[in-house]
Amino acid sequence: MSAIDEFEEAREDLEALLIEVLGAVSGEEAMPVWDETLPPGPVVSARLAIHDEDDDSFTMVGVRTSSIVARVLASRMLLTADPGPEDLIDAMGELGNIAGGNVKSLLRHSCRLSLPTAEVTENPGPEHEFSGVTVRASLLGQVVELSVDVAEDVAGLYWPGSPAGALEIRP
Amino acid sequence: MRILVADDSRAMRMIVVRTLRQAGFTGHEIIEAENGQTALEIAAEKGVDLILSDWDMPEMTGIEFLRALRASGKRTPFCFVTSEGSEQMRELADASGALGLITKPFTADAFSETLSSVVTP
Repeated sequence: MSAIDEFEEAREDLEALLIEVLGAVSGEEAMPVWDETLPPGPVVSARLAIHDEDDDSFTMVGVRTSSIVARVLASRMLLTADPGPEDLIDAMGELGNIAGGNVKSLLRHSCRLSLPTAEVTENPGPEHEFSGVTVRASLLGQVVELSVDVAEDVAGLYWPGSPAGALEIRP
Repeated sequence: MRILVADDSRAMRMIVVRTLRQAGFTGHEIIEAENGQTALEIAAEKGVDLILSDWDMPEMTGIEFLRALRASGKRTPFCFVTSEGSEQMRELADASGALGLITKPFTADAFSETLSSVVTP
């Protein structure tokens, strides 16, 4: 079974995972959606990779939503009425981290998880060619996406632990 | 009690502190650290009574932090609060001397169940 087939087979679990994580972080009920897309405008996204050292493959996990939802999440996570750009990055990064950790537990047990990286994109262009699985949920009336894909390029991601990695110990 | 919360996300540190209170563990001094290295230094210099630590952090991971802490002779109760909760990680945490592993997203009940033996309300 290819990795993409495996992600597809886990689609319902990924949907449930996204709903649970969003509900826990926001305190709001999230609902699965299938045909809706992100609204026009700024997007806040987080991504991180899962590295399988056995075959040196990478699975990329991404979370994206509108800046409106990201602001609400940051506001609730950080208990601030007016979250700044760094707060949005921190909150979405942590949302990505929680989602990524749970995806790893679901699909890739004996692997290494990168640290999340998050960014605000003011005018997101067309999506890159994507062969993986994306599940969507509605939160506060807007879409939040969770994507899982195989990855060739993990540039820009950081890995946990000491800089040299010498002390890195993973199950 | 003096409780050290180590996580590279400020948002998550705040959520952990809030959840401690929601679990009824109030009135304790909270110290925050954004990676394992800083947390280890705080634990060595100030002394703490409980450590709640993320697993994946820059500079020094949670498991590196725990092992360095134990190697220094400190037996401070140590609980992971992390997004990964595989059985292998739980076994490694246990073998390294952790009190437990709470998986994100978590509830106040999870904090109560795991920490009630070492934290007084």
